[in-house]
Amino acid sequence: MKKEETVKLISAEGFEFVISKEAAMVSQTIRNMLTSPGGFAESQRGEVRFPEISTVILEKICQYFYWSLQFVNGKETEFHIEPELTLDLMMAANYLHT
Amino acid sequence: MAMHIRVKREKTTYFVQCDPTETILDIKQKLHTLIDQPVNDQRLIIRNWSCIRGFQDIGRSKVENDVIVALTLRKDDTEFEDIKINQPDEMHSPREADGF
Repeated sequence: MKKEETVKLISAEGFEFVISKEAAMVSQTIRNMLTSPGGFAESQRGEVRFPEISTVILEKICQYFYWSLQFVNGKETEFHIEPELTLDLMMAANYLHT
Repeated sequence: MAMHIRVKREKTTYFVQCDPTETILDIKQKLHTLIDQPVNDQRLIIRNWSCIRGFQDIGRSKVENDVIVALTLRKDDTEFEDIKINQPDEMHSPREADGF
């Protein structure tokens, strides 16, 4: 995994999650940011800020990306979601087209 | 890649993909490309203070999918820094993560 193949997602509280671009592109919204021609500033720096997504939710989303990659490769496990996160997670998923 | 681990230090989490047949050294080399710290200056610690070292297999070192691993870096020739993982809800008084 090279540095150029990763992207840094930054939460509302300024916490950083470094994940592979492949995982990040599970989200259609992030995929558009990273692949659109001309380029968002995001794709050049390899950083995407989410001022409206809390750290706990963003971490869960990153875990989901990796779970999703495994799932499409045929490894079907359960993805655990704490009930108290459900609403925020759905709103973030809607925003990210995930 | 069959699994990933979450390597944490301060406010940053690195999701590192790996296979159970790889060694801890392989993980450190992957981290090296991300953080520019030589493998000898990295120390990885899983829950309950077990330090995971060099040539151990991931599969045999009780490192499972999605597990949290603490990263500490070398301070000087003899010492490593203490574990520090910030929690989002108490940013002004970070405490050590549960279980460490």
